[in-house]
Order: sequence, then C-alpha cells, then structure tokens
Amino acid sequence: MLRKIALCFVLFILFSWFVHACSAVGQADANQMLAEAENALVSAYASVAEANSVGANVSQLLVKLEYAGALLAEAQNSYRVGDYERAFSLATNCSDAVNNVVYDALALKSETEEDQGQKLLFTAGVSSACLSVLFVLSLFGWRFLKKAYLKRVLEMKPEVEAEPK
Amino acid sequence: MSFDDFKLIYVLACLGLGLIILSPTLAMVVRLPGGEQFSEFWVLGSGRMAEDYPFNVVEDQAYKVFLGVANHMGSLQYYMVYVKFRNQTEPLPDSVNGTPSVLDPVFEYRMFLRDGEVWEKEVSFSFVGVSFEGNYCRVLSLVLDGYVLNVNKLILWDNENNGFYCELFFELWVYNAAVSGFQYHNRFVGFWLNMTIPV
Repeated sequence: MLRKIALCFVLFILFSWFVHACSAVGQADANQMLAEAENALVSAYASVAEANSVGANVSQLLVKLEYAGALLAEAQNSYRVGDYERAFSLATNCSDAVNNVVYDALALKSETEEDQGQKLLFTAGVSSACLSVLFVLSLFGWRFLKKAYLKRVLEMKPEVEAEPK
Repeated sequence: MSFDDFKLIYVLACLGLGLIILSPTLAMVVRLPGGEQFSEFWVLGSGRMAEDYPFNVVEDQAYKVFLGVANHMGSLQYYMVYVKFRNQTEPLPDSVNGTPSVLDPVFEYRMFLRDGEVWEKEVSFSFVGVSFEGNYCRVLSLVLDGYVLNVNKLILWDNENNGFYCELFFELWVYNAAVSGFQYHNRFVGFWLNMTIPV
C-alpha cells in the first residue's frame, strides 16, 4: 500500500514537472511575442492616426490603443526584470486588444471621408448657386448704378464764371 | 470720383462678396499651415509644483514625482518615456546632437496623445539594497511602480558637494513612421538624488 502511494506521489511530481516544462515560457518566446505585439500596436496606431488626420472621431479607438500601449509597456518592464511568462501573457493581451483596431480605423476613415465628400459637394453646390446669383445680380446692379451715375453727372450744372469787365 | 474709379470699386466689391460666398468651400479644401510643432515634457515634485523634488533619499522610503507629456505636434503621436538611472560619471543625453544617453532603460511608459492632449503620471519610487562602504555606495535595486528593477549602481563620494550623488532621469521618445521605429525626441528631465544613511 505504502509503495503504491509513493509511486503515485512520484508520478504526480513527474507529471507536474512535465506540465510546467511544457507550459514554461522562455526568453525567446517572450521576445518574439513582444515583437509581434509591437508590430500589431504600430499598425493600429498608423491606422488610427490616418483616421484622426481626416477628422474622424477616434476616441473609442484611442482608448483601446492606450490600453494596449500600457499592456505593452508592462510587458517590456516584466521582460526587463526577467518575468518572461508575464511578459508573454501581457504581450499576447496587447495583440488581442488591438485585434480589430486597424479594420475599425479604416472603416471609420472611409466613412468620414465619404461624409466629408458629401458635405463638400453640398457646400460647393450652394456656393456655385450663390455665385451665379451674385453674377446675375451684379450685372443688373451695374446697369442700374451706371444709369444712376450718368444721370447724376448729367444733372450737374456747369458753373460758368462771370466774364471780367 | 471718376467713372473708372467707380467701376473699379464695384468690381472689387463683387469679388469680395464672391470670396465670402466661396469661403466655406475653400475652408474645406485649403489646409493652412499650423503653428510650431513641439512636445512638452516635465517632471514636478511631490506637490505637483516645480519644487520639493526628492533629494536626500534613504533605503526603503517611498518618494514620488509627477511626470508629464503634452503633444503640440499637430497630430496624433505615439510617445515612449524611458526611465534611466545614472551615477555622476555616466553620460546624460546629448542635447546638442540630439542623441539619447547610452545607458539602458530600466523602465518605460507608453502613451498616445492627440494634438493638444496632456498625459501626467504619478511616479513612485524607492531604493532597496543600498550599502555604504568607505567612499562608495552601492544601490542594488530601484523599485518603480511596484517593479523591483536591478540597477546595481556604484556611486562614489563627491568630495566637492559632500554626498553620494546619482540621477533619475526620463527620456522622451516618439514613434517615427518614416523610420518605422522610435526616435529620441531630444527632451529629457531628471533630478539629482543624494543617497544617505537612515538615522
């Protein structure tokens, strides 16, 4: 009985060690995951920056970026102190956090550009109509003012100086 | 007023009115150049003022400062702050050439800021493993935001200023898409610390 218990205990220890050895994260794994997270974050940032530059409301995407950035910084700090497992886990979370950001930012950008295009078209249309009206009115106005000006000039009586005696 | 002058004034008035009508469309198309592009970077003391910075420090005692970044670059920026720790003989960043300190960072912060936005963070730190022997002091670890960072720094006694002086400083880096990486933004802030023996 005692032998069986001892054997079970040894098997349990060996199994635990094996599981730990299989799941342990090495420096190289953590380093690779950090690089992947950095790339994912940079791509997300580039997309959000583009969307922001065309005037899109990127507040929600920025919250995700901020969160992912903080995760990556923590992952790098964990890596520095030698906690590769935590670094790996945080870097994975960082990649997950910005998973759809590129797609969302591009969609937001194209939506904003479309809105702005329509707005520009409308504004340009209104401006053109107003300019046409201004052009026609200015021609009529000019005719009216010219007439008024000439009338005023013709009504002016020339002053004749008295001849010296 | 002559007829030609009258005609000129009329044409100019019509042109002015035309420009006013066109201004909303022009504002949407023409992009005017912005102002000067720069980033602000600061460190404040425990009272959030430019005073009361930690100076005489002892082991296992927590100190705090406030670190801030403001973006005036005209667009969304991706910043990184490196925390570095040096003794008197180790180099600072070179402001003339715009190069960072060659020391390895011990910690980092990252932030995304839109134009005009400000980031400020309370940075708490302490030292552990401080030993004094003769004319030098050894600092094994810096504890920053809960992370125990191995710095293993040897600080020599400064005869002139009577103290074991070291400096905690912060470098500002910004992501540059043109080079696909972070570049030193030629800004750093820091403060001197004097390692003392607890009484």
